[in-house]
Amino acid sequence: MNKNDIIQSDRRIESGEPLLELIDLKTHFKTERGLVRAVDGVTLSLKRGESLGVVGESGSGKTVLSRSIMGLLPSTAVKHGSVKFAGQDIVGFSAKQMRHLWGAEMSMVFQNPLNSLNPLMKIGKQITEPLKLHLGMDKATATATALQLLRDVRIPEPERRLNQLPHELSGGMRQRVMIAIALACGPTLLFADEPTTALDVTVQAQILDLIGEQRRDRNMSVILVTHDLGVVAGHTDQIAVMYGGKLVEHAPTKTLFANMKMPYTKSLMRSIPKLSDPSHTRLATIPGRPPDLVNPPLGCNFAPRCMYALPKCHVEEPPLTPTADPKHVYACWYPVGSPEFEKRDAELQATGYMPEDFSAVS
Amino acid sequence: MRYWLQRLGVAVALLLAVSALTFGAMNLLGDPLFNILGPTSASTLPEDLEIIEAAKAEYNLDDPLPVRYVKWGSAFVTGDFGVQFSVDGQPPVSDLIKERLPRTVMLLIIAQTMAVLIAIPWALFAASRADKAVDKVSTVTSFLFIAIPNFGLAVILKYLFSLKWSIFPLIFNAADPFWTRVWQLVLPAMALALPVASVYQRLLRTDLITTLQEDYILTARSKGVSKRNVLFKHALRPSLFSFITIFGINTGALLGGSLIVEQIFIVPGLGTAIVEAILREDFPVVLAIVMIVTTAFVVINVLVDLLYSLIDPRVRAS
Repeated sequence: MNKNDIIQSDRRIESGEPLLELIDLKTHFKTERGLVRAVDGVTLSLKRGESLGVVGESGSGKTVLSRSIMGLLPSTAVKHGSVKFAGQDIVGFSAKQMRHLWGAEMSMVFQNPLNSLNPLMKIGKQITEPLKLHLGMDKATATATALQLLRDVRIPEPERRLNQLPHELSGGMRQRVMIAIALACGPTLLFADEPTTALDVTVQAQILDLIGEQRRDRNMSVILVTHDLGVVAGHTDQIAVMYGGKLVEHAPTKTLFANMKMPYTKSLMRSIPKLSDPSHTRLATIPGRPPDLVNPPLGCNFAPRCMYALPKCHVEEPPLTPTADPKHVYACWYPVGSPEFEKRDAELQATGYMPEDFSAVS
Repeated sequence: MRYWLQRLGVAVALLLAVSALTFGAMNLLGDPLFNILGPTSASTLPEDLEIIEAAKAEYNLDDPLPVRYVKWGSAFVTGDFGVQFSVDGQPPVSDLIKERLPRTVMLLIIAQTMAVLIAIPWALFAASRADKAVDKVSTVTSFLFIAIPNFGLAVILKYLFSLKWSIFPLIFNAADPFWTRVWQLVLPAMALALPVASVYQRLLRTDLITTLQEDYILTARSKGVSKRNVLFKHALRPSLFSFITIFGINTGALLGGSLIVEQIFIVPGLGTAIVEAILREDFPVVLAIVMIVTTAFVVINVLVDLLYSLIDPRVRAS
C-alpha cells in the first residue's frame, strides 16, 4: 500500500463508508485432527469512531476473529471471504503489505500486559519504535511524542518511565503502556483483546474508560474482544456475540440488552453474578463444553448445551434472522419471546433453571 | 557483594581441589625420581647416589606428599612454576608457558569468535523457518558437525583447504609476524569452531523458537516491525541465556579439543605442551597447565555470570 492509497482511503472514510467490512470471513486452521473452523462465516461492518464488542466464551473464535482481521495468524491459517479495510480488500495481503498497516492504521492491545511488553527493552524504546518506523520521526521527536503518549494514558512520572523496564511497572501501568504503544501512530482501528482480564477489578474500569476516551478523542474505531458482557455494556456501540466460530447475535448495544434473542446471549448474561443476589447463591453456568470445531454439530452449534433446544435445533442450522430492527440479527429457531421458548422457560423456572440431567446431552 | 565473595570462595576451593587431585595423582602413579633422572634413579653407584641426593633435594622428594604440595603451591602462587623434569630442567616451566600460552589463547579466541559468528545468524535463520525444509537440512548439518570427531574434521579441513586448494597455510610458524600467525591459526580454529558452533546453534535455535512464541513478539509484529528486526531486536537478546552458559562451559572443552587440533596442525601451543608433558610424566608442566586451564575456566564462568546481568537487568535485582 503506498501513500496515495492511504490518502484515498481517508477520503472514503470521510464519505461515510464503513472503515471495516467483513463479508463471510472464514478462518480455518489445518491441524492433524482435521480442519479447525475457528471463524466460520462472519459478516459485519464498523464505521469510523464506532466501537464493537465481540463477546463469547473461550474457544468461540473471538480472538481468532480479531487476529484474522489484522492478519496476525500463524501460517497454518487459511482465510476465505473478504476483509475490507478503508475500502480495500486486505484479506490476501502478505505480512509485508500488512506491515504498513500494523501499528500505523490498526493496532492491538493484548490480554496479558505482563507478557506483552518486551521484558528487556526500555519502555521508551518500545513506544518510540513504531513512531520511528511509520512516521519517520527522529529520536528527539519520537521521545517527546512518547512522553506525551504516556501523559495521555495518565502514567505518573512519565519521564522516569521512559528509562524503566516493564518489570518495574504494575500490571495496570503496563497495560497503559501497551495502550500508549497501540495509539502511538494514531491508528484508525484499535483491537483490544481482553484488555482487562489480567487486571485488578479496580484497574479494569480505568483501562476501559481510557480506551473509550481515546476513541472519542482520536475518532478511532475500537473492537473490544471479551468474554464479559458486563465489560462491553458501557463501552461499545454494537455487540457481536460469537459461538463456535459463528455470529449468533449481533445488535446495537442498547437494543441487545433490551431485547436478547439468542438463548446463548441470555445464558452469558445470566452467568454474570449480581449484587442483588443473596450471598452463597450458586453461580449460573452454561453446562457442557464449547463445540468441537473440527466436527461441529449438525444443527445449531449451541443446541447440545441449550436448555431450550428442540429436535429441529439438532438437525438444522438456524440462519441469521433480522428482528424488527434490521440491525439486530440472531441465529435461533426458538428465540427468546417465541412461544416454544416461553413454554420451556416456564418449566425451567419451576426447577430453578437447574436441568435434571444435562450430562446426557452434553 | 556477598554473592561475589561466595563466588570467590568457590573459585579458590575449586583451584585447591583440582591442584591437590592432580598433584596427588601424578605423584602416586608415577615415580618422580625416575622421571627426572631416568634409569640413573635406580642406580646404586656412589657417583650416581650423589646425583640422586641432589635431585631429591632440588625437588623436595624426601618430604611427605602434603608438605611437597604446600611447597609447590606456595611457590606456584608467586609465579614460580618450578623446573621441568626434563634432563637439564630447562627452560623453567614459566618460560615454557609464556611461550606456548599465547598461541593457544589466540587459537581459542579465534575459534570462539568464529563459533559465535556462525552460530547466531545460523540459529536466527533456522528458528525463523522452524520445521521447514531448510531448517531440517540445517539440523542434519549441525548434527553432522557435532557427531564428527574433532580429529576427523581437522584432517578433512587440512586436506581440503590446505593441501588440495591451498587456501590456508599448511604450517604454523612462530617466527612470522603477528597477523600472519593469526591467519595460520584460522583453519585449526575452524576445526574447533564448527562442532561448537553447531552445539550453540542447536541451543539458540530452540530458545529462539520458544521466545518467538512469546506475546511480546506478537506485540512487536503488530507494531509493524519487520520480521528481521523482530528477530534481531526483540527475540535474540532474551534467547541468549543457555547459549552463554554453554559458551562458558565450552571454553574448557575447547581447550581439550585444542590438544588434538594443535597436534594435527602442528601448532606448538599449550595442547602440544601438555601432551608431551604427560607422555614424559613431567609433573610440573602438567600441573602448571592444568592450573591455568582451571583458572581460565573459573574466570570465564564469572564473566558469563556478569554477562547474564548485562543481558537481563532483572538478574541484577534478584
